[in-house]
Amino acid sequence: MKTKIKNNKFLAISILLLIIISFIDIALTYKALENATQQIISMLIIVPPIFLMIGLFDVWIPRETIIKLMGENSGIKGMVLAFFLGGFSAGPTVAAFPIAMIMIKKGAKYSNVLFFLMVWSSLKLPILFYQITTIGLNLSVIINTVMIFVFILGALIAEKLFTKEEKALFETKAENYN
Amino acid sequence: MSIEAIIIYSIAIILLIISFFADKKKTLKGLKKGSKSFIKLMPVLLPLFLFIGILLAIVTPSFISTLLGEESGFLGIVLGLSIGSITFMPPFVAYPLGVELLENGGAYPQVAGFLVTVMSVGLVYYAVESKFFNKKAAIYRNLISFIGAIIVILIVMVVY
Repeated sequence: MKTKIKNNKFLAISILLLIIISFIDIALTYKALENATQQIISMLIIVPPIFLMIGLFDVWIPRETIIKLMGENSGIKGMVLAFFLGGFSAGPTVAAFPIAMIMIKKGAKYSNVLFFLMVWSSLKLPILFYQITTIGLNLSVIINTVMIFVFILGALIAEKLFTKEEKALFETKAENYN
Repeated sequence: MSIEAIIIYSIAIILLIISFFADKKKTLKGLKKGSKSFIKLMPVLLPLFLFIGILLAIVTPSFISTLLGEESGFLGIVLGLSIGSITFMPPFVAYPLGVELLENGGAYPQVAGFLVTVMSVGLVYYAVESKFFNKKAAIYRNLISFIGAIIVILIVMVVY
């Protein structure tokens, strides 16, 4: 029972929260469930094609190619590629984790994969125009430029910060994932 | 369906057709692998999105804008960063919300910090992310994004 709850932390907390807010205001519970359904539906719409591409990527792209493009000695080329892969993305960050795993499995360098994840989370090129029209050009420019620099720096530091053993562990995990 | 979804479906379907004509066996194997990792992720994703749904029912835009007002100062910045770090929103929800917050009297640095963290810092993903990589990697990625948010706030304070 204990491990079951531990493995389903979010489910347990969610149910507890639902019970609590039902006592406070039942309308809040309905709103919460409506929100959750909406979130899950939009996730179920956007995520399947991502996994379809993960599957195709896995069978078609040889490891050598990814090692050459994004591996240890890929240099700036690897980062640029990680930037565009992350930037032309759709879907929540959590959908990017399996993609990150397959990249590592195919021999991409951890710092490039981390950079990809960070870019995916907040520098989405297809909606750049939408970002500017909503929050304005000034704020968009400030946010995007700062984040690009911080992410590049973060990725470069990660290269030194994570030990060989840790990176090897990521590879083993990626190997076992798919 | 959003434009985002239409684009990604078009690309996926085109790739699938090309792959199918090139090698049926390989395509089937790819489809199997893709659906396997999709199914594997579902038990993790569903409770997570339930949790986020509840969170967003409690943390409503009007609730956030009362916290991030012009007078909220340093505490408002901390609150903006915290709410943004805990919650997750797709950009099509987050950006209009940012505008709404500003129109409802939210201050620029507070809202900017919220906008950056709501996209890039995902504490709700922490458990999943540590399982995929490790705790250090999950903390590191979130920390880097958080530092980015603080730099954005500082610049916004100077500019606005």
